[in-house]
Amino acid sequence: VRCQQYPPLRALQASAALRAASDEHKQEPWASSSQQHFDSPPAGHQPEEKPQGPHPSYTGQGGQESEDYESEEQLQHRILTAALEFVPEHGWTAEAIAEGAKTLGLSVAAAGLFHSDGSELILHFVSECNSKLSELLKKEQKLVQLGEAEKKPIDEFLRDAVEARLRMLIPYIEKWPQALSVLLLPRNIPSSLNLLTSMIDDIWHYAGDQSTDFNWYTRRAVLTAIYNTTELVMMQDSSPGFQDTWRFLENRVADAMTMSNTATQVQSTGEAVVQGLMGAAVTVSNAGTSRAVR
Amino acid sequence: LRLWRCRCRALLSRPTGAPRARRGLAAGPEMHFGFQTVTEEERREKIYQVFENVAKKYDVMNDSMTLGIHRVWKDILVHKMNPCPGTLLLDVAGGTGDIAFRFINYVRSVRQRQLQRKLKHHQNLSWQEIFESYQNDKFNSLGDSQVVVCDINREMLKVGKQKAQHLGYSEGLSWVLGNAEELPFDDDKFDVYTIAFGIRNVTRIDLALQEAYRVLKPGGRFLCLEFSHVSNPLLSRLYDLYSFQVIPVLGEVIAGDWRSYQYLVESIRQFPPQEELKAMIEDAGFFKVDYENLNFGIVAIHSGFKL
Repeated sequence: VRCQQYPPLRALQASAALRAASDEHKQEPWASSSQQHFDSPPAGHQPEEKPQGPHPSYTGQGGQESEDYESEEQLQHRILTAALEFVPEHGWTAEAIAEGAKTLGLSVAAAGLFHSDGSELILHFVSECNSKLSELLKKEQKLVQLGEAEKKPIDEFLRDAVEARLRMLIPYIEKWPQALSVLLLPRNIPSSLNLLTSMIDDIWHYAGDQSTDFNWYTRRAVLTAIYNTTELVMMQDSSPGFQDTWRFLENRVADAMTMSNTATQVQSTGEAVVQGLMGAAVTVSNAGTSRAVR
Repeated sequence: LRLWRCRCRALLSRPTGAPRARRGLAAGPEMHFGFQTVTEEERREKIYQVFENVAKKYDVMNDSMTLGIHRVWKDILVHKMNPCPGTLLLDVAGGTGDIAFRFINYVRSVRQRQLQRKLKHHQNLSWQEIFESYQNDKFNSLGDSQVVVCDINREMLKVGKQKAQHLGYSEGLSWVLGNAEELPFDDDKFDVYTIAFGIRNVTRIDLALQEAYRVLKPGGRFLCLEFSHVSNPLLSRLYDLYSFQVIPVLGEVIAGDWRSYQYLVESIRQFPPQEELKAMIEDAGFFKVDYENLNFGIVAIHSGFKL
């Protein structure tokens, strides 16, 4: 029976020491006033002199306490973020992750933490893009609420949101087809589908959609289709500044709007026709009863 | 200080009494050597002699005992490692160099693919630019990868060096005599530490794991390939039958040494099962410790990271 207590509290000591060392390096240039407060031995000796324990912390140059405790997930997060800059060169592969780990001062073997096909890297990137989009939309909404900006009509809003999201792919556009194929692997479909639907949901939410009827599904289906098709068009678009893609997007959104207008028109026409028929039926029955009375 | 505290934790969390001795840990002078009980010193000596005796026939015996499947296991280990060029590997108890050679082959082919991709990319450049890139790139076939083979047994290292010469492996390979419980290397040196079918023979497994932690760089990976416990009862019976009836006989016939192979087979039974080894690796400080059973648990690959 081993001690069950300490695993959840254990800090990642090796990587914590690395981060401390790199933070020290950043803070050393303006060390003069706090010299006596914190003697900074050379970075190589850091691992031994770090206070050992479940929550190692040190007092930095500025006198702030910083928690070095970091979970495995956070470290993996940092590695993947660092790996993104190597994607244009190496693709969405374990090599890019290894290069990313190197920049953090970790061994290249840390790429073994992830799958060798780069799935986690791609999913991480997609979720980061989605978060960035949410922030963008939230900021815009705030501006509208404060009255500093005009509320956009629905089609323009959707167009801008999808364009903003797709523009985030531009630095990685060459390797993006590879990423799409990895996202379609059976193993990754649940996560990638989840990310896609939550992104579409987000956009509609900020567009002001509060429907609780069947419209909720149709709206999301329509926007998902618009997004996916535009993404595919973007893959093989070679026009300057992706003009063709944005024009395609504009047309698709306009189509969707027309479709929904037509749907409402069809509905109201249908209602009018039904009412007309009812009226005719009532007139006929009245005429019948009046004749019977006479 | 950390060493002492880790060892203290290891002692405190072990069950007391007879089972401790059978598991071969810091339980005082009594240890297991196969199914016999010996002291620590005796155990080290006996194991040294075992491998001294079998060194020349080690590879042949591996092939006949496992019907050649050990090659597949070792291939799987290196594939799991997925090393990229520039990796520094320490192969402990790597005597005859099986893992080291596979590592070199793997890295060489990855490097070739890398270079091919670079050349494809170069097809858009002018002759001048291509020539300049030749000056800059060191077109070394291994991409600066290196493997250090460390073994406690001189005979095994000798056989390994001969094999390397015979098979034509020269660059990126080093042979060092050393004890897994006390490695002659500095801290934070290696990217990957492997020990294939060796940790079973280490007298103090916890020390070996701590040494592994010490010599690995932050982010480095620990990989252990070892015989483990089969949980399927039917398969376990067949496996036991094969181990105890066939293998020592093969040992006598092929290597002329029945006792050594009896020891080998018994030591497999004495070795901690998968979950317990996983716990020991976590005790040494490794994170994301996991194991993969091969062939229903006949062999298991344990992996951990120094984070």
